[in-house]
Amino acid sequence: MAVRRLELVMTKWNRPRYWVIGGSSLAVAVLLLIFRPYVLISGLQSAGLYAAIALPMALILGIVGIVNLAHGEFLMVGAYLAYFFNATMGVGPLASIVPVVVLMVALGIGTYRVSIRKVLAAPELNQLLLTFGISMVLSQLVNLIATSQPRSVSMSYATVSATIGSTSFGVFDFVYDVLAVLILVGLQLFLKRTRSGKAAVAVGQNPTGARLVGINVDGTYLLVFSIAIGILGILGPIFLVRHSVFPMVGGAYTMKSFSLVAMAGIGNLTAILWCSLALGMAEAFIKSFQGYGDWGDIVFFLMIIVVILVRARRTS
Amino acid sequence: MNQRSAIIILIVVGLFAVTLPLYAGPYPQSIGQMVFLYMSLAVSWDMLLRSGQISFGIAGFFGLGAYTSVLTVLDLKLPPLLSILAGGILAGVVALVVGFVVLRLRGMYFAIVTLALAEIFRVIINNWASLTGGPEGKVLSSVIFGGDARLLYWLTLGVAVLTLLMSELFRRTRIHFALTSIRDNEVVASSSGVNITAYLTIAFAVTSALQGITGAAYAQVYGFVAPDGSFSTDFTLLPLAMALLGGVYGSAGPVIGALLLGVASEFLKLYIPYGHRIVYGLVIVVVILFLPRGIAGIVRRKRAPREGGHA
Amino acid sequence: MKRIGTVLLVMLMLVGFAGTVFAGGTSEKANPIKLGAVWPLGDITGAQSSKAAQLAVDEINAAGGVLGRQLKLTVIDSELKPEKGAAALERLATVDHADIFVGGMSSAVALAEVPIFKKYQKVTVWTGAASSTVEKAIGPDANWFFHLHPWDYEQGESYVKGWEAIAKKYPQVKLGKWFLAYENGPFGTSSFAASKSLYAAIGTMEGESFKSAATGGGDYTSVIEHAKRANPDVFIWAGFDADALPIMQQAKAMNFAPPLFIGAPPGWPADFGKSPLSKDVVLYGMWAPSMSNVNPVSKHFYDAYVKKYNEPPATYFAPLSYSAIYIVKDAIERAGSLDKAALIKALEETKYESPLGQTITFGPSNIIQHQGIRGQKILQYQKGVQEVIWPFEYKTADLVYPFPGWNNR
Repeated sequence: MAVRRLELVMTKWNRPRYWVIGGSSLAVAVLLLIFRPYVLISGLQSAGLYAAIALPMALILGIVGIVNLAHGEFLMVGAYLAYFFNATMGVGPLASIVPVVVLMVALGIGTYRVSIRKVLAAPELNQLLLTFGISMVLSQLVNLIATSQPRSVSMSYATVSATIGSTSFGVFDFVYDVLAVLILVGLQLFLKRTRSGKAAVAVGQNPTGARLVGINVDGTYLLVFSIAIGILGILGPIFLVRHSVFPMVGGAYTMKSFSLVAMAGIGNLTAILWCSLALGMAEAFIKSFQGYGDWGDIVFFLMIIVVILVRARRTS
Repeated sequence: MNQRSAIIILIVVGLFAVTLPLYAGPYPQSIGQMVFLYMSLAVSWDMLLRSGQISFGIAGFFGLGAYTSVLTVLDLKLPPLLSILAGGILAGVVALVVGFVVLRLRGMYFAIVTLALAEIFRVIINNWASLTGGPEGKVLSSVIFGGDARLLYWLTLGVAVLTLLMSELFRRTRIHFALTSIRDNEVVASSSGVNITAYLTIAFAVTSALQGITGAAYAQVYGFVAPDGSFSTDFTLLPLAMALLGGVYGSAGPVIGALLLGVASEFLKLYIPYGHRIVYGLVIVVVILFLPRGIAGIVRRKRAPREGGHA
Repeated sequence: MKRIGTVLLVMLMLVGFAGTVFAGGTSEKANPIKLGAVWPLGDITGAQSSKAAQLAVDEINAAGGVLGRQLKLTVIDSELKPEKGAAALERLATVDHADIFVGGMSSAVALAEVPIFKKYQKVTVWTGAASSTVEKAIGPDANWFFHLHPWDYEQGESYVKGWEAIAKKYPQVKLGKWFLAYENGPFGTSSFAASKSLYAAIGTMEGESFKSAATGGGDYTSVIEHAKRANPDVFIWAGFDADALPIMQQAKAMNFAPPLFIGAPPGWPADFGKSPLSKDVVLYGMWAPSMSNVNPVSKHFYDAYVKKYNEPPATYFAPLSYSAIYIVKDAIERAGSLDKAALIKALEETKYESPLGQTITFGPSNIIQHQGIRGQKILQYQKGVQEVIWPFEYKTADLVYPFPGWNNR
């Protein structure tokens, strides 16, 4: 049985296209390791960060079908909660993950109940506007309470470093790569193996049909939304370790996540990892040329446009 | 709301708007300038939305128009009014060119690509310092019309009126049926003989040109351009909010939304100096929850439904 | 139900519209002297500027006011948006009937405010705008414009002067090779442009841009890597407060410790001093809370601010705005009236001992006639506190050199 499954997996991946991609990626990686190792390292680390943050948005977009423009703001709130625990009780960010997740899930449930549920029956654009309003309320509320001055924590493990040859680099940021993979695997297991997960997939594909077969659509939406916000509750404290947080810090990450999800294709969680890898590496590669770093942003957006266009051409 | 009362309201409001400078001071006029510019963006965004395409790239064409206007005035000595036109033309042409490639996309993919394009425009302008002055932008030696508040007001009013005229043109000609049918069901539309690509291209080019004109007018009224300032995402997100709050798929909705949100943001900050933006966000949340068709939708529901379900 | 809702909504809109358009400014009580201010209240710099200015106004009023009249300060939020800054000035001029304009933080907003300044030509004492683009926009004829904040090139010149003085006093300090990492927006780019030519007097300067964490970036790997390769005597970064700790963290992780590590953001995050990574980081600035230890005016301001607002002043904008109000007050008293020509003459005679440490006077800069502060200070984080290193007449501590490396933190 396991052998059979292994066979299937092997045949699925044993196609010329994947050999070419895999082989050339390996070649590129080796070249980078020799000439510009820090590109490989920082590329991997940013890829992990982008992927980890984008996955919850992909979940909400794929199943509940709404673009959560407040995505980055929820991340920001999670980070501020961790900062609060640190500033008032001296609890380190990693240790505060559990209480932060609890609070964030509560926030997610509350937000869903009070606002999002009501707007699901309305046109898709209303949902967009609602989450935009929520993002404004969240960031301005935090601004009022905590002022716009950035907050940070200084943990000794944030700067743990390793050295390969003449390159020293920070090791902590690899935690994002680990998290991204864990989140992806966890979500895939949830969606494919658990009852509520499979129900969620059904709801994502056809809410009316799902309702007809007796699935509690509203409960599923609530569950998925809470899971996504809960994941942000894990990412927030970790984000705080290596970033200074300020009320508007979320906006850029909302946009990046949205771009990544569109690039990977709505509903495709695994592709988010590959796309973020490509984007992270491309960005790091461009920046490694002194004087051309400014063009990194253009490469980022061009890649997104190209991938979306190519995929549209293929499906049409 | 029948045709006659709509026209009466239009005439009254229009007269009020045009004659405002005669009895109100520079401050209400400056609010008016902001409201009209955002109104124009909201209406032009709505015009494309009627085809089903959601654009997140308003800021891109706005900024292109602004830069064209300032650069043609500074480097080519073009008269300011003509430069506003030039801004619109350039934005329209760019839209035509990119539309060729990009208009085949739908839904959120189109939206993200327009957002990406706007960012690409911004970064190019930011980095091409020899042409555009780089991150610090460029300053005009004087604001258009020498800063006469009334003329500035009428200029921005004119831009808003132009956009509204185009919007009504879209409503009252064949374009309306074409766009609506594309939005409802593309398969049916194309089998009914609607050339989808052509209509989408027209809509995209015209609305982008209008956004370029608005950007150029902004640059002339405030006298400067800068990459962060002229391509700010506020010029994309706020008009969206205004159109949605006011009610989409029509001219009245974005106008109402622009008036409401534009005036509200000034009003709120005078009475709630710290935290007025929280209230602003709450206004958006509350209105969209309780008025899903927007404010104009309250009125529209009373009309006999003559268009098929548009969600 | 919907009907009532509609009617209510329409009424609300009408009230709001009327309230904004026709809202009178102040009720005429006892004919106060009206100061009109524009600051970004949603940002800590603007919020604290407004509070510090109000503190000054309250102090002055409690002591009897100016020329027998009370001061009234009206502050409108610029929301960091150019068009809102301009509209705020219009309102202050025509609805609140401000006699004098004060305020200012952002250069970008100032660009839209300048045409309005020129429209009303009121006496203006401006605390913001460092970009020389703004100076060009104002032009040489605006004799009613008094600018407190040093221009970008003046800041650069003062740093060069400072380092030359420091190198003379502490001969072990090496300044031959500089590396400037600058954020790719207007602030960073203008810092680099100004610095490149100025620092040629003391050494060579190489620069590279990065995307600041404040604008969605925050990865400094490539600039630090290139800086490492360049092996400079001095490394400075010109970004924003959000970059301060992450850049130190990455420098430590990448084992980069040049002999002199300078940060030049316009402000610092709240807990930077608490981090062990802040040790001996040099910074550029205008003021530090530690000045209270050496300067009585500083101490008075600091204590009064903390007492009234229960929070410490976090950026130099607080004492700067406090100074602006007192400068205006002194000038009105000297002039004996609010007559514009007399006020201008009185302001030109300003000699105000400010909580920033220096005595503020006005003199010409490149283009405008009345520039107040023409230089910055060089400071250093020592034991978690910002200490002033230069100018020596305001110093609160001696320079610690070289930057100690990462081993014991």
